[in-house]
Amino acid sequence: MLLAAPFPNQGSENMEKVIEMKNLTKLYKNGRGINDLNLDVYKGEIFGFLGPNGAGKTTAMKIMTGLIQPNRGDVKLFGHSVIEEYEKAMADVGCIIEVPEAYSYLSAYENLKQLARFYPDVDEKRIEEVLELTGIGRYKDEQPKRFSLGMKQRLGLAAAILSRPKLVILDEPLNGLDVEGMIDIRKLILSLAKEGTTFFISSHLIHDVELTCNKIGIIYNGMLLNIQSMDDILKNYATLENYFVSEVESYGRLPSRIDQ
Amino acid sequence: MAVFQAALINELEKLYKKRKVMVAMILSILLIVIGQLLILGVRTGLGIRGAGSAEFPLLVLSVAVNTILPLFTALVAIDSFSGEFSQNTMRITLTRPVSRFKVFTAKVVAIGLFILAILAFLFVFSLLAGLIFNVKSTTLIGIFKTILAYGVSFFPMLVFALGVILLANILKSGISVFFLSVLFFILFKAVELLFVSYSGIILTSYFDWYNLWLANSFPFLKIFRELLMMLGYGIMFFTGAYYLFDKKEF
Repeated sequence: MLLAAPFPNQGSENMEKVIEMKNLTKLYKNGRGINDLNLDVYKGEIFGFLGPNGAGKTTAMKIMTGLIQPNRGDVKLFGHSVIEEYEKAMADVGCIIEVPEAYSYLSAYENLKQLARFYPDVDEKRIEEVLELTGIGRYKDEQPKRFSLGMKQRLGLAAAILSRPKLVILDEPLNGLDVEGMIDIRKLILSLAKEGTTFFISSHLIHDVELTCNKIGIIYNGMLLNIQSMDDILKNYATLENYFVSEVESYGRLPSRIDQ
Repeated sequence: MAVFQAALINELEKLYKKRKVMVAMILSILLIVIGQLLILGVRTGLGIRGAGSAEFPLLVLSVAVNTILPLFTALVAIDSFSGEFSQNTMRITLTRPVSRFKVFTAKVVAIGLFILAILAFLFVFSLLAGLIFNVKSTTLIGIFKTILAYGVSFFPMLVFALGVILLANILKSGISVFFLSVLFFILFKAVELLFVSYSGIILTSYFDWYNLWLANSFPFLKIFRELLMMLGYGIMFFTGAYYLFDKKEF
């Protein structure tokens, strides 16, 4: 298979493909964007999407969740195209894109109640459950306009996992969280992954990615440089940071850059 | 259908929680009270009859369709679209398993229900006010005609709302949508007065089309023509606005 060829996924042929990006291209007028992204994520993976600011992480995630349309290519979630069959593709997906959003004039509970209406299996008990899981149960009747950034992030996470999704897409989930918050969220991610939830996470916090993710994809200048499992990376490099720097540096020496 | 229903309930809940509905209702009551006081003043001071109980609701309607009704329709429509675009809260709904067409339609239906609610509210309270101050002139036919007048006023207001929604999907800022809506409104009213022969194609001229329904010799053809015109505007606005909404990047 063409797209998997440069990045062999050892032993993943039999596994269920959760995300399938094919030739995904979106170029903005300022020259930024993503170019010809091919990427597969398999069930149970905690995929870390790494890249510097402006590399195209959020663009890719926005296309994955249908917020913007690509110029070319497609993304399939659970085998359904987000362009053609949006409702089916998103049925088992929860996400935070850029910053978690909430209606400021509704309470935290009412915000989740709004989302719950889209899923027949999500009842009030489940809303209480996710509020407790993310540690904001005490604040459920308060309006998010009085929330700190960390609390908003927790509410966003509660919203993302509310429907017991099989895939969770998180763009910078640790933004604004204190150390305790980061540990809590990491634990939550790992425990959900154990139950079979697939994660696609972008983050700047490379140390945390190292502790959380089991597969890494590096995006730079709108192009995917490499995909490797965390175990393989740590066999050859002392830390994920070393690997990231070495990948980006070796790319910098390559002639085939998007802007050339 | 269940997904659409969820989206509609969500829109209605947001509308209700934002208290715009409350303000619109308070203003409606003010309009009725002030109107009734004016009529009382005219009657007792000048000895003129003013308006009877069945006519009073129509008087209120004639003022409302040119003032608070389009004003609040525009405000609610702008809030539902431009407001959510600028606060990025549109993403909350759009990243759920619901198609953009359903989200768009749910918003339009919610705004339609808002217009209906305000019309019903105005009707009930103006009728009550009319009854309290002038019981004698109340007839069943009068009440039926009033219901008809309020009912048909829904259509031009919905088309107006769709026009505002189209603007909200073209322009970035909610404030510019609001001012442009007001500007168009005034401009249309002026054109209506200055070029009477062309007033038939101007959207705002349909705001008082309920008068046609009350005429003694029922002007079927004229009503039919205006209905088709409104339908035409409505379809164009809806399609244009949905096209832009569907292509929008969030």
